Amino acid sequence: MPMRIPLQQDLDTLQATLMEEGDLCARAIRGALQALRERDPELADEVITFDDEVDSRYLSIEVAVESLLARQTPVASDLRLVLSIIHINLALERIADLCVTIAKLTKLVYAVPPDTKLIEAFDEMAVRGEEMLKHSLDAFMNRDVAAAESLVDLDELIDRANRRAVHHLMALGSNPEMREWGLRMIIVSRCLERIGDHCVDIGEQVAYLVTGEFREFTDASAELRG
Amino acid sequence: MDYASAEMAEGTEQSGDGLAKAIDPTQLGPAAPSPAPFATPTVFKIENLTAYYGKAPAVRDVSFDVPGNQVTAIIGPSGCGKSTFIRCLNRMNDVVPGFHTDGSIYFHGIDLQGKDVDPVNVRRQIGMVFQRPNPFPKSIFDNIAYGLRILGMKDNLQDRVEHALKRAALWEEVKDRLKDSALALSGGQQQRLCIARAIAIEPEVILLDEPASALDPISTASIEDLMHELKNDYTIVIVTHNMQQAARVADMTAFFSLSEVVDGRRAGVLVEYDRTDKIFTTPADKRTEDYVTGRFG
Repeated sequence: MPMRIPLQQDLDTLQATLMEEGDLCARAIRGALQALRERDPELADEVITFDDEVDSRYLSIEVAVESLLARQTPVASDLRLVLSIIHINLALERIADLCVTIAKLTKLVYAVPPDTKLIEAFDEMAVRGEEMLKHSLDAFMNRDVAAAESLVDLDELIDRANRRAVHHLMALGSNPEMREWGLRMIIVSRCLERIGDHCVDIGEQVAYLVTGEFREFTDASAELRG
Repeated sequence: MDYASAEMAEGTEQSGDGLAKAIDPTQLGPAAPSPAPFATPTVFKIENLTAYYGKAPAVRDVSFDVPGNQVTAIIGPSGCGKSTFIRCLNRMNDVVPGFHTDGSIYFHGIDLQGKDVDPVNVRRQIGMVFQRPNPFPKSIFDNIAYGLRILGMKDNLQDRVEHALKRAALWEEVKDRLKDSALALSGGQQQRLCIARAIAIEPEVILLDEPASALDPISTASIEDLMHELKNDYTIVIVTHNMQQAARVADMTAFFSLSEVVDGRRAGVLVEYDRTDKIFTTPADKRTEDYVTGRFG
């Protein structure tokens, strides 16, 4: 006989809202890149406005978690699920914020003819970012630690593309207009790279949810220590 | 002695001069058990304990160590032998006809069920507080003083009573009416009086069998605060139905459940024993997970 039906319903609703928020984030990534690629300030405005949709899911999850913790007192795997939802919710909200940043930068530079090679690199990064987002949320829903851990390798591809983009921007020359454009594009590149990092964070939450262990998939300080 | 009088005694029974054999950890019994992996020494080492009422086992093959100066909670569904188990720890089941056990309970290395061990002395060192507050129909003062007098602890009686009431966080509420009947106290105050009564005879261990189940939330909170305070000086074992209470107060938690049917019978078994935070965040056994998340049944 199923027990604790209200708790299970609340947990199901939270996960469904989280997946909805994830879909909205994927659309935000696509929209932000399309606006950048097509130098479309109106589409950039839409991406900025669209962030309210993500924020409303973010807030509804926050409120629902607060109520669930107060009323249902989850423990064990239920508790881990709620804690991981809190973290993933925050990661998604930040991914959407990064898309807003890209859209705002697009509005500042749309009059400048872009560097085609760089835009192609950003396209690749955005596609990979969107794949990582989908992959991380699938890993969450399937409670698949191996899939979550594979996000590190996918993230490395975005990191490499980011490094290549920065190198390319450095070589754009001393034309003041292009220099300003290049500075803004470094931030775009950084935003896309951060989207990958947030997806890895989501993967780490999947590992915590399944195993109960808090751990980072990659440890920068440990690498320094050798 | 019947159940009721056993409860009333709460480890304060008169043993008779020269009859009681004191439990001295330096003497008697088998070799001390190997140290448990706790920061504090092991007080109870339970090995393959099976407790029977007649032929029917109530708990079967229970083994674990209880660390000193910590709160250990026993949780589990109704009928899984929690109360039977905790009553084994101070031989309170001795009074039940047909009750017997296999296996061992070592208290500081001494087999509590050994022939040389006097149950009266066991209860002197291992006190018990029950589900329903059961003060004697006497004054507040006499409730505490009674056990002290019959145990011959008559020196500084006033100070001992005051100390016990202070340790049980009741002194400030009753110091001006010590001659009043204990029955006039609220339920929560009566339960703290029972704890004071148990403390007064200076036991090492306090067993609490559902001590807050008959109390309102405020009184429950005061009992829980008290446990937190008392564990500095006593080892506490508590049976509770309230899982959140176990999560709040216990350092270690033992989850008991019912076994599969063996010889046509089910008995209580220890499913999992670990740090309380582990039990309530990442339990190792699916049965524990199902129980603490409320999906049992």
